[in-house]
Amino acid sequence: MPLGFAQRIVSRDDLVARFIDSAAGAAARVVHGTRAELATLVAGFSGDGLASDGVARFDREAQRVASRCLSMVPGVPGTVAVPDDPHALADLDLLVCEGVLGVAENGGIWLPASRLGERSALVLARHVVVVLARSSIVADLHAAYAAVDVSAESFGVFLAGPSKTADIEQSLVIGAHGAMGVTVVLLDE
Amino acid sequence: MRDRGEPRPLPVLDATGAVDHAAGAERFVANEARTTWHDASLWFVREKRDRAASTVEDWEALRDAASAIKTHTLSRLDEYLAQFEQRATARGITVHWARDAAEHNEIVLGILSARGARRLVKSKSMLTEECGLNDYLIGRGIDVVDTDLGERIVQLRNEPPSHIVMPAIHLKKEEIGETFHEHLGTPAGDDDPDALTAAARVHLRARFLAADAALTGVNFAIAETGGIVVCTNEGNADLGTALAPVHIASMGIEKLVPRAADLGVFLRLLARSATGQASTVYASHMHAARPGQALHVVLVDNGRSAQLGRADFWGSLKCIRCAACINTCPVYRRSGGYSYGSTVPGPIGSVLTPGFDLQKYASLPFASTLCGSCAAVCPVRVDLDVQLYKWRQLAVDAGYVSPVKGWLMRRLGAVLADPALLQLTVGIAGAILRVVPRPLARRLAGAWGRWRELPEMPAQSFRAWYRANRRGPD
Repeated sequence: MPLGFAQRIVSRDDLVARFIDSAAGAAARVVHGTRAELATLVAGFSGDGLASDGVARFDREAQRVASRCLSMVPGVPGTVAVPDDPHALADLDLLVCEGVLGVAENGGIWLPASRLGERSALVLARHVVVVLARSSIVADLHAAYAAVDVSAESFGVFLAGPSKTADIEQSLVIGAHGAMGVTVVLLDE
Repeated sequence: MRDRGEPRPLPVLDATGAVDHAAGAERFVANEARTTWHDASLWFVREKRDRAASTVEDWEALRDAASAIKTHTLSRLDEYLAQFEQRATARGITVHWARDAAEHNEIVLGILSARGARRLVKSKSMLTEECGLNDYLIGRGIDVVDTDLGERIVQLRNEPPSHIVMPAIHLKKEEIGETFHEHLGTPAGDDDPDALTAAARVHLRARFLAADAALTGVNFAIAETGGIVVCTNEGNADLGTALAPVHIASMGIEKLVPRAADLGVFLRLLARSATGQASTVYASHMHAARPGQALHVVLVDNGRSAQLGRADFWGSLKCIRCAACINTCPVYRRSGGYSYGSTVPGPIGSVLTPGFDLQKYASLPFASTLCGSCAAVCPVRVDLDVQLYKWRQLAVDAGYVSPVKGWLMRRLGAVLADPALLQLTVGIAGAILRVVPRPLARRLAGAWGRWRELPEMPAQSFRAWYRANRRGPD
C-alpha cells in the first residue's frame, strides 16, 4: 500500500518559515544562531527568559538562573553528567540537546534516546533547549518517517513545544508535568 | 485513592438494570446554564478541529488512507498481532495476551506483585477504565495514581472520566478549585487554572519520583518493528515510564498498524481531530525498555474479536479514540458523558458498547439524531450514523425497546406509506392543534411535547394551497 502523499517542491526558506510558525503555535520559542555562538547563547538564557507563562509563575526555582544543566551538545558546557539513576535528575534546570530533524507542518523535532543522554531529562528539566540545523527541516510527517528509523533506538520522541494541558475549563496552561519552556535554536547550516 | 466511599450515582438505570440515556440526559439538562456552557465548551473544540483540518491540503486523502490502512490491518489482525509479538519479544519486551478484562487485571497485578511494586502511576488509558483496573488494584493494596491532570481531578472526586480525551470537561474551575483545596491544600477559592495546574504538578511530581511502576495506554503499536507509540500533551506518560523500574503498556488489539511509515498518516490526523493541535507535545516511540527497566505489553481482546466478527460493526475497530465524533455530537454536547453509562460515551461509545451487552446498552444507539456529523468528522471514516441505525434494528428485534414505541413506529410507518391516510391524519392533527389549548396539546404529544413547542398550524395546508393555485398547466 503506497501512501502516495507526494512531496510538494518548496524552498528551504519556505520550510524554515513554516517550521517557525508551527513551533510558535506549539508555544516553543525559536531563536537563530550559529554553532560557534551556542555556548554563549545558552549561557545567556536565564530562568525567566525561558519561561514566564503558565505554571512557571508559581515556581520560584524556574525563575532563577539555570544552574543544573545537562548538555548533550558538544561545545556547550553542562554542570551535570548523565547519571546511572534517572531520579538523580529530579532538580534539573536545563537540558540542552540536538534534534535529528524538524517537521515544518507541526513544529515537532525528532529526539532519539542517544540525543537526550537520559530520556527522563526531557521531562524532568524545567527548560529544554533543542539545537536544530535549518537543513534538517522536512515538510511533513511522511517525510520525517521516511528519513528516520524510529525503531533504531529504545526510545525516540517527536517533541512539539513545552508540556501543556487544557484540562481545566479548556484553558491552555504551559508546564503541566514536563518542561515549562522549550527554546529551539535554529542553526544556519 | 478512591477514599470517599461509593462512587456517585452516575448513569440512570431503569427497572431492568439497563442504562436509560434519556433519563440521564434529563437530569443533565435540568441545569440549563450548565448545559449551555458544556455545549459551548465542546463546540469550541470542534471549531479548533475544523481550523486544524482546513490547513492540511491532503486532509480527505489522509482520511481515506487512514481508513484503508486500518481496514487492511483488521482484515489480517491475527497475522499482524503474531508479527508484533515476535518482533517485540525479540527486542526484550514481554508480551501478554488477555482474553477479557479479568485476565488483563490479573496480568497487571501479577507483574506488580512479582516485583513487589505498590505504587503505580498511570497515564491515560480508557482500556483500563473499561477493565475496571483501578478499583481492582486498589482493592488489592496497590496505590494507584492517575497522572493526567483531568484524570487526577476526577479520581480525587471519585468520579469516572466524562470524556475520553478531556476527562474533566464536565467540571467548572470553581469545582476543581474546591477539590484541590480539599485534597491538595490549595487556598480556598483559588480557581486560577495556572495556579491549580502548578499545585497538581508539585503533587504529582512527588508521585512520579516515588513510583514503583508506570502504566500507560497505547495509541499505536507497530507490527513491523514491535514498538509502541504513546501520545500526550502533559508528558505524564514519559515522566512515569522514564523513572519507574517497570513499564506496563495496556492496549486493545485493534491499536496495531503494519508499518512505522503508516504513523505519518495517523499522527497527522490524531491531534488535529482531537484538540485542533498540529501535533501532541510528546509522540513517544518505545521499542525497548530502558537499561535496568522491564517493559510489558498487554494485548487485550475483551470483546474486540466478537466486534470484528460482526459484519455491520467491525468498522468501529478502526477508531483511534480522538473523540472528534463526541465533540461534534449534538446529543453528547447536551447530555454529558455520564448519561451514557459507558466508558466511551458519544457516537463511538454508542456503537462499541452495545457489543458488550445489547440489553444493558440498548438506549445508546437512540442517543443520536442520526445527523451524521460524527461520520463527517471521523478521521478514519467510521460510518457511525449507519452503525447507530443498525444497532437500533437489533435492539428492537431483540425486544429491548419499549413495545409502545415499537407499535407507534409501525403505525407511523403505515400512515406514511398511505397518502390518503396521511392526509386524513394531518387534517385531524391540524384541526386538533387549532382548537385544543397548547398545554393540553403538548401533553397529548407525549415525550415529544414535554420539551418542545408544537408548530403553529397555518389556516391552509400547503397541499390545499397548491391545489388552489398551481394545479396543472394553464
